[in-house]
Amino acid sequence: MKIDSVLSLSYSIAKANFKLRNEGSYLGIFWYLLSPLSLFLIILFIRGSIVSTEGVANYPLYLLLGLVMVNFFSQLIHSATNVIQANSGFIKSIKIPLEVFVFSIVLQSIFSHAFEVLLIALFFIYFHISLIGIFFYLIVFAFFAIFVLGLCLFFATLGLYVSDLGNIWTIASQLLFFLTPTFYIVHPGTSLYLGNLFNPIFYFMTAARDVAIYGTMPAWWMIGVMLAVSTLSFCVGALVFNKFKGRFAELV
Amino acid sequence: MKRIVVKNLNKKFTLDHKKRAGALAKIVSIFSRNNEGKRLLTVADDVSFEVEQGEIIGIVGHNGSGKSTLLRLISEIYQKDSGEIKTEGKLIYLNGYGQGLQSRLTMRENIYLMGALMGLSQGDIKKRFDEIVEFSGLSNFVDAKVYKFSSGMVTRLNFSVTMYCVKHHNPEILLLDEIFSGGGDIEFFDKSTKLVENLVQGGATVILVSHDLGLIEKYSERVIWLENGKIREQGSAEKVLSAYKNQ
Repeated sequence: MKIDSVLSLSYSIAKANFKLRNEGSYLGIFWYLLSPLSLFLIILFIRGSIVSTEGVANYPLYLLLGLVMVNFFSQLIHSATNVIQANSGFIKSIKIPLEVFVFSIVLQSIFSHAFEVLLIALFFIYFHISLIGIFFYLIVFAFFAIFVLGLCLFFATLGLYVSDLGNIWTIASQLLFFLTPTFYIVHPGTSLYLGNLFNPIFYFMTAARDVAIYGTMPAWWMIGVMLAVSTLSFCVGALVFNKFKGRFAELV
Repeated sequence: MKRIVVKNLNKKFTLDHKKRAGALAKIVSIFSRNNEGKRLLTVADDVSFEVEQGEIIGIVGHNGSGKSTLLRLISEIYQKDSGEIKTEGKLIYLNGYGQGLQSRLTMRENIYLMGALMGLSQGDIKKRFDEIVEFSGLSNFVDAKVYKFSSGMVTRLNFSVTMYCVKHHNPEILLLDEIFSGGGDIEFFDKSTKLVENLVQGGATVILVSHDLGLIEKYSERVIWLENGKIREQGSAEKVLSAYKNQ
């Protein structure tokens, strides 16, 4: 199957799943916004008591951007751990490229992320920040999405061999949420900062905030790391998925 | 011209996969010295046969004899362990219907989704859309959600989409796994049987798997009898079916 057919099929599945998720719901697409928004409001309300955010310009935007990125990452990987099993009916009965199931969950998350970006744009208008930042954010997000896609391919494969991976990920993603500077700031030289140098999400999150909120170019080394981890994640994910996909139909 | 060549095909499944699939079980199995051997199930045992252009062959055998597995191996859904499988031309594998139907979507949305899963572009589905709806006889329910359909209506929809997608592809090889189960009312059953007959007798090379021996006898020139993944007998439909019935 050609790449355009694969993408077209992935898009059709993502569109159907997106409709299914909103089917019969009065709030519809607002459910996508409620989860990060509620967390956003809670943290904003209690921030003084838990972390110091002094010196962080436009903290609400800093927080919201961090939340939607970490939300995109965590939810997508969680879906990936079960995506092959969830489509076992198709996999056993139709000869189709199995990548479409992973691509489709990534596309579906990108659809819902689009609503979060709209919300961020409204905040930008409220805080009198240039909307051009959204454009630059999308560039950083494109690399972030490739990075997550690679991980999804990897976790989709691993999920077939380790049945409780979804539960493990639920705990791991909570740890990741607290270890990544989603709602607090890390200062260079601190142990948390040094630890975050090994956390790929830190680079994407910092770069996204720099270009979107603060209108500054991220450091070159940071751009380099983003490009490297996106490429590495995609290549390793695709390699692992390709190596094992021949056995998927037997394992589901 | 040979459309399908299967030579010394072997395939074994590992049993107990699920039992060992938890993270803790994996870790324990790495450190445990008491590793019991993997239980294997032979599903294709040195299977060899050829199918000529335009030939219709039937496969019979009890449940678990490896009929569906053989078709999945030929269509590359499963990977072989060893041996050779060669196919010449566009191949479609069908096993029943309804894998793609989503009950919470409308009939229209389902036709587009199933069409896409069966390899049709959105433009192709659009062209075939009216034909599919007309054949299904469900034109009054195009924008109704499928969970409101009766089981007969679901069968009609499934069958119509699947068959029109197959017709669109015009495959050289058709692997049909228990697809004559029909469904719906008598009128639709007759209509659908006629459509499958046209497809089977339309010049494609066909492998037919069914428990309905009358059906196998009606369409197949040659029959393969599978038992525990091994070919027990193959030859003319009359000879093999008579041996199978009298076992």
